[in-house]
Amino acid sequence: MGTEEGGKEESVELFCPSEEEIERWMARAFDMAKEALENGEVPVGCLMVYKDKVVGKGRNEVNETKNATRHAEMVALDQVLDWCWRSSLDVKSVCERIALYVTVEPCIMCAAALRLLNIPVVVYGCRNERFGGCGSVLDVSSADLPHTGTQFKCISGHRAEEAIDMLKTFYKQENPNGEKQNHSACLFFLLLTLHFQNV
Amino acid sequence: MKRWKGSPCDVDSWVALPVLSDEQSQDVELVEVFAAPILDKKETSRLVRELNSLCPLRGLQHVKRVRPCREKPHPLEVLVCLVSDVPQMQVVSIDSLLPSGGVNCNGLGEPFVVKVPARAPLTRPQFELASQHWPTSFHEDKQVTVALRGELFSRHQKERMHAYMASAVTAARDGGMAGMEAIGAVVVDPKTERIIAVGHDCRCKHPLHHAVMVVIDLVARSQGGGVYGFDSYPACRFTSASSVQTEAQTENGTQPYICTGYDLYVTREPCVMCAMALVHSRIGRVFYGVASADGALGSKFKIHTQKDLNHRFEVYRGVLSRECEDLNSMNDHIKKDRGE
Ligand SMILES: [Zn+2]
Ligand SMILES: [Zn+2]
Repeated sequence: MGTEEGGKEESVELFCPSEEEIERWMARAFDMAKEALENGEVPVGCLMVYKDKVVGKGRNEVNETKNATRHAEMVALDQVLDWCWRSSLDVKSVCERIALYVTVEPCIMCAAALRLLNIPVVVYGCRNERFGGCGSVLDVSSADLPHTGTQFKCISGHRAEEAIDMLKTFYKQENPNGEKQNHSACLFFLLLTLHFQNV
Repeated sequence: MKRWKGSPCDVDSWVALPVLSDEQSQDVELVEVFAAPILDKKETSRLVRELNSLCPLRGLQHVKRVRPCREKPHPLEVLVCLVSDVPQMQVVSIDSLLPSGGVNCNGLGEPFVVKVPARAPLTRPQFELASQHWPTSFHEDKQVTVALRGELFSRHQKERMHAYMASAVTAARDGGMAGMEAIGAVVVDPKTERIIAVGHDCRCKHPLHHAVMVVIDLVARSQGGGVYGFDSYPACRFTSASSVQTEAQTENGTQPYICTGYDLYVTREPCVMCAMALVHSRIGRVFYGVASADGALGSKFKIHTQKDLNHRFEVYRGVLSRECEDLNSMNDHIKKDRGE
């Protein structure tokens, strides 16, 4: 029993996407974000990849559902669960081999959800200074939370500048008259992000 | 639910206490300062004036410069300067502490080290502890003081809170009976005193359907949105917003917006995911029964007081604590039955 568990842990430890995979899947995530931007939606691209196959992808659905928790990652996680149930696969053993590719750092809520589902690796573009759960506001990804799933590894900074530019464009067009104050605050934080990342 | 309602002694069985920020709940931190006795009381106002202008105590605006002494030969003591501002030396004399030619040390005795509170007290308990070390000024937030005494809520309010949490406990039991973790949640509009949504943990069906996530989606459904159907769980229900809208709301044309202005009652302290979901949903206040090990509204984090986040809210714990605690033993049984 003990050795079995040890072996399992080791395989999770070794599970990490290659440079080539990161390049390829992040390009897909950026295409999604661009498409969202062209449709006037929050430009965040998000993909869940299992054995070189997309098993979940999401876009922000907060407005149409009136549910503020419908971030792209939560939508994508629902698709992963559906896929597991349809394929009669064990959720935990699938999730342990999934990498999330997302253009912006997941927020605190989404980071906790990723932990609860034992997703081991998250590859993201730019930091999320307002809500980030992988170190920007709180570090949920590596916090000592024994009852909140498993910690995950973050690979950050991939095409960060581009991700920020898209968010800036979005908040500019969303908010030409400064109607929604939190959006102008967001623009301010994004500019700060840009500044601190020395890009 | 009938069991709890109206019985007058019940609301005395629990106390709702505020979950304050770390700054408000931490122990009093002390810093070393040189003080000296004032031997001649007539020199006091001159000494304080000269010391205040020439040796200001950086960051210690909250401590009083002078304290009266009882049971000592001299009547008063005055703070001279921070120990950290003085270069290390073997013998400290009053002359060496004062800038030459600045302060006339007539009437001052030989210096000694005292510990004074490093930060301004934010709550009455902090103030009382701080004052034991050195007289300290305090700008009291009366609501926090009353809340810390457990006396913030009137009897009527406590009866309402009791009824709401009792609904959450009932929902938790129903969920437990259906094989879920026995955790329940209720969302209330405190202005109309109407329950908007009741839900329980549904994680057997979906690992992220914690009770809080369930009621957030039920509130969305009450406003014509929502993602999931919880129809197979009769204890998970909502009242649609149009049916509870007051005349004033209809006249103003104000629509309810996510959880703005609503209160949440939940039997157990929310986890990180649920706590942040409440930030995103702009919840008004949160009341919970008992703490949880990885809880994010007091135990592991205090997300509701996090300065960098765009929405903060009040949190109170202890509502119906005994009944909520009992749910934990129900959970232990469920886990045992499942062989976990
Ligand atoms: Zn998120
Ligand atoms: Zn939760």
